[in-house]
Amino acid sequence: MNIIETNHLTKAYGSFTAVSDLNLHIRKGAVYGFLGPNGAGKSTTMKMFLGLTKPTDGAFHIDKKRFPQNRTAILKKIGSFIESPAFYGNLTGQENLDIIRKILGLPKESTADALELTGLAPVKDRLARKYSLGMKQRLGLAGALIGRPPILILDEPTNGLDPVGIHEIRSLIRSLPEKYDCTVLVSSHLLSEIELMADDIGILNHGHLLFEGSLHDLKSQAHDAGFPVDNLEETFLAMVEEDNRRRSK
Amino acid sequence: MVPKIEYKKLKRTGYVPAFLLAALLAGAFPVVNMAVRKESFLSLGGEPLSVLLNANWQMMAMLNILLIVCGACMMYHTEYTDNGMQKMELLPVRQTSLFLGKFLIASIMTAVMLSIEFSVLAGCAVYWFSDSRLNPMILICHLSFSFIMLLPTIILMLLIAQAFRNMWISLGIGVILVFTFSILPQEQLFFALCPFSAPYQLLDNVHADGHVGLFLEIAALETLLFALTEFICLKIRRNFS
Ligand SMILES: Nc1ncnc2c1ncn2[C@@H]1O[C@H](COP(=O)(O)OP(=O)(O)O)[C@@H](O)[C@H]1O
Ligand SMILES: [Mg+2]
Repeated sequence: MNIIETNHLTKAYGSFTAVSDLNLHIRKGAVYGFLGPNGAGKSTTMKMFLGLTKPTDGAFHIDKKRFPQNRTAILKKIGSFIESPAFYGNLTGQENLDIIRKILGLPKESTADALELTGLAPVKDRLARKYSLGMKQRLGLAGALIGRPPILILDEPTNGLDPVGIHEIRSLIRSLPEKYDCTVLVSSHLLSEIELMADDIGILNHGHLLFEGSLHDLKSQAHDAGFPVDNLEETFLAMVEEDNRRRSK
Repeated sequence: MVPKIEYKKLKRTGYVPAFLLAALLAGAFPVVNMAVRKESFLSLGGEPLSVLLNANWQMMAMLNILLIVCGACMMYHTEYTDNGMQKMELLPVRQTSLFLGKFLIASIMTAVMLSIEFSVLAGCAVYWFSDSRLNPMILICHLSFSFIMLLPTIILMLLIAQAFRNMWISLGIGVILVFTFSILPQEQLFFALCPFSAPYQLLDNVHADGHVGLFLEIAALETLLFALTEFICLKIRRNFS
């Protein structure tokens, strides 16, 4: 069953089309890796899912609900993290999460749970503006995970983390559907990263969906199309280059 | 609940201390004035509170307005610096209720500031005009009138502050408005009724002109109008981003 589905979803900024005719199928309980080079339209798509920006054309539903009618109901179900971490620098990590917790109407323990999940517990009383980039990223993630929402939308959550942090966050995301019943939509511009986390993959380039399916499907499809398959990063790059070449004609 | 959240966001920003400090600073005007030129004021006759207000309110009101400008900028500065506002947009809470929460907090702090100032004025009346039979009801009327005259300024300034990510732009606009309206002819009813200008008015003088009802109605109308403008702005922003 698909918990998020888009139907010819399109977003244009003036004459520039950032997301074009997108048909995504995100299965309930899966980790869906949303892959694409910078500027492909990943954040724009996610922003539409969160009601931050309105589609120009097409539609989507999340758990059978739509914007703007069911805005509150949708946002109650989604924990999200878009682009750069967003927080209040004058508040501590814990105070930041407490604000989110209160708005969501969650019990007190949720804050400690989110701090624990993201490894922020030892620095919970430090001002968020004094956090390192990695800690800020974790705080953003904690703000998404708080209350363990059934849907997580995470936009490049490992950006700015050191290799150890990247590994930890990846393992965390990978483990989420086992820890509790949830669906994760996570974006990245690295296939190597998506490969380690995702059950399903969607590849986006210039707003167009080049591929959607499992890692296995990707390999066989790439093989049939004559792309290199020994190294998946190369497969991805070759697909994007091929698409760019076709597009520039 | 939302006002409590908005209040929590202001922790460590110096928002509350700023209002308290401004109240003490404004309160210092009548005290210093009386300490230095006691005789000239005592010889004026009339209600002590009116004498004190006539002598000091222009400066005190300007300080109050400047603080409202700074307060609004501080509120949105905390929202914009580390993008906290964006997180709010991703949560199941209405942007309009967050805005109204801010308005409520700013209004409460303004009321606190005015209460301190009027307490100092009352203290001056009792201390220097020793025969004073100061009527607390009159004091409360003056305070309430001044408070209501400030409401349109508070909400307009919040509207300005939320429009610009860069606090210095909002602050600049606010300060320019403060000084523009302070030099416009206050005797003209039209200008006197404007935000940034109405707070200089004194209940005594407005009452003498028989305009109390008009001033209250216009203040209420302006406040509603600016609130409505904000709601429309938020709607437009959502639909066109
Ligand atoms: N508000 C906007 N106005 C105009 N163009 C935008 C806006 N937001 C994004 N874009 C453009 O849309 C394209 C896709 O951006 P984005 O979704 O952020 O890509 P990604 O997240 O995949 O890197 C980019 O070319 C970007 O410049
Ligand atoms: Mg992006």
